[in-house]
Amino acid sequence: MFWQDPQFGNKLITLMAALVLVLQILMVAQRWLVTNIRAFGLQSFLLGSIAVTIAYFNHAPQIYIVAALTLVFKAVVLPIVLERLVTKIGIRQEIEPLVNVPISVIVSGLLTLLAYVVAESFRESAEATGPASLGHNTLAVALSLFLIGFFMMVNRRKALTQVLGFLCLENGLFLAAISLTYGMPLLVELGIFFDLLVAVMVLGILVYRIRETFDSMDVSKLSRLRG
Amino acid sequence: MNESMILLAILAVPLVAGALSFAARKRQAMEAINLGGFGVVFVLAIALVAAVLRRGSVSALNGFLYADSLSALVVLLTALVALICSVYAVGYFRDDERNNVFEEDLLGDVTISKLRKYYALTPLFVFSMMLVALADNLGVMWVAVEATTLTSVFLVTFYGRATSLEAAWKYAIIGGVGLSMALLGTILTYYSARHVLGSETSGLNWSVLVTHAWQFDKTTMKLAFILILLGYGTKAGIAPMHTWKPDAYSEAPVPAAAILSSATLNCALYGLVRFYILASRCLEPSYPGALLMLFGVLSMGISVPFVLIQRNFRRLLAYHTIDHAGIMVTALGVGGPLGALGLTLHMTFHTVAKSLLFLCAGTVYQHFRTDLFRKIKSGVIRLLPFAGAVFLMATLAIVGTPPFSLFQSEFVILQAAFAAGHYTYAVLFVLFGVAIFAGAVIHVGGLVLGPADPGPAARLYPWRDSAVFVSAAILVVMGFWLPGPVFELIRNAAGIVSGGS
Repeated sequence: MFWQDPQFGNKLITLMAALVLVLQILMVAQRWLVTNIRAFGLQSFLLGSIAVTIAYFNHAPQIYIVAALTLVFKAVVLPIVLERLVTKIGIRQEIEPLVNVPISVIVSGLLTLLAYVVAESFRESAEATGPASLGHNTLAVALSLFLIGFFMMVNRRKALTQVLGFLCLENGLFLAAISLTYGMPLLVELGIFFDLLVAVMVLGILVYRIRETFDSMDVSKLSRLRG
Repeated sequence: MNESMILLAILAVPLVAGALSFAARKRQAMEAINLGGFGVVFVLAIALVAAVLRRGSVSALNGFLYADSLSALVVLLTALVALICSVYAVGYFRDDERNNVFEEDLLGDVTISKLRKYYALTPLFVFSMMLVALADNLGVMWVAVEATTLTSVFLVTFYGRATSLEAAWKYAIIGGVGLSMALLGTILTYYSARHVLGSETSGLNWSVLVTHAWQFDKTTMKLAFILILLGYGTKAGIAPMHTWKPDAYSEAPVPAAAILSSATLNCALYGLVRFYILASRCLEPSYPGALLMLFGVLSMGISVPFVLIQRNFRRLLAYHTIDHAGIMVTALGVGGPLGALGLTLHMTFHTVAKSLLFLCAGTVYQHFRTDLFRKIKSGVIRLLPFAGAVFLMATLAIVGTPPFSLFQSEFVILQAAFAAGHYTYAVLFVLFGVAIFAGAVIHVGGLVLGPADPGPAARLYPWRDSAVFVSAAILVVMGFWLPGPVFELIRNAAGIVSGGS
């Protein structure tokens, strides 16, 4: 049966990882905050699905728990919370990156290239030692998410969009953990998840307060402390 | 009480104290809970030190918690600072309340809810620092380090000023991004060990990893260590990732800033040290060593101009902490038995001296209601004889004037650097040290000594002065005499760092 064939699993994972990367570039390229948040939700949904696929083909039941958490919290709860925050503080919808969109996309492309070069050096050692190479080709995507998330944080001025960049970066880490080691030990994954949720809560409260105090979310206005 | 119970109790007591403070209705109740809780934690920390000295290492919950001399040292220092700061906090916040500082809040929090925020978050903050030191699993340790950031963000926003929001935003974002690099480093470490240890939960336990470190995949470990250095280095405020530090330290309420600048710094360095030990066993010690020395000396150098031109004394102390983080990272990089001993000694002395400095600066700040040198001008010692004198003494101590103990530890580090042949770094170390010495002594000397404007007469502040007194007494005594068991603990901890024992 084709759904028991590891080759099929491998292709499925590669397809989803490619979509994840496309969504990431889309987030860099388009201008509307709400679309960005939804793209993040969709990306998290795909990551959860990748985790489920890896769990299924490698018979690693502990990954199911992490996958379920990702599907519930990152793909559904966080996007809803973030969208509520957007309506609540009533900011302008446009993102206004520092570097214009075409150049941002080119930078993202270069970062992806860099990620592939770095990931290539792991490939050799992985084939020599790893039990199954399933999911290893997603490492490059994971590193791209990490680097592009980093770039998004630097490239954006609004506090909330920086939080989004941070979440993408975190998604990259999740994919790296899944593809390199089939997930960290369950306890650690749960701890990381808990930290992420608290972090989003804390950052959300800060965004709200910054908006209240400065009447803006432009973090370049946060520049009174110097020297 | 057996040993594993101590480990559990050290974590449980702050958690319970935090929950009780959250539920408390009265200020006195919250103060009593914090004082009592941190008192108990300090006693437990001493019990842990005794147990570790007796047994070498202690573990609980099937190895989930693990304490050796290094963790016990960090726990002891954290507990000491937390206790002293909880005494100081009582006087500090009562003073704030008398002067109606809380009413300046832009967000309109009432006094009691502000106090609850401090008294409930601080125990949680201490809990997460204790978990950093006691978790054996490196992943759990990462979770705990991130938790120290998350629990302290709202301590930085405590006063609700526009500037405190700015400081908290930088703190949370830079800290979060930095730590995500540390997480990637942890994942890569796990990966580099996987073909040796398999994918069991214990595959990330430091005590297990360290015995197999020589078999790890070397290329992966190299990359992992760089990420860990950048990640935990951000948390420790190593240059060039230090920019959040002066903001956060000068905006947080003084007792919280004192904890942040001493105990939290220790926790970040502790994480770095654990990975340093793995990396130096997997690769050569010279690989992590060279990176650490580079970043360490860079941090010392970057803090020099900011110390020299500083206008605000709490920011001065923050840049000073960057300098000392650099010193400790350099000591770790120099390595060897001597470098490691310099590191653990310096960690101990710095914790006492830096928290004391922040507390003195807090008393001065509350008296004059400003932290700018320009506005106070001079003569603090005439208006605040006790706090002023201790401020000057602690400044002399921290810049490494003999006979104070920081002179000894810096001398040990320098000796180790020369012995290992790192002449360039050693010369830079001395050069930056002298510049910092000049900057700090001129600024604080000018602030404390000299003629004073006729101002309000000095009073005695029972809570704050007693906390400062105890801390100052420890600092003075340590210059001449370290209790035998404490020195043994420091030496054993150094042995773990250098891989000797």
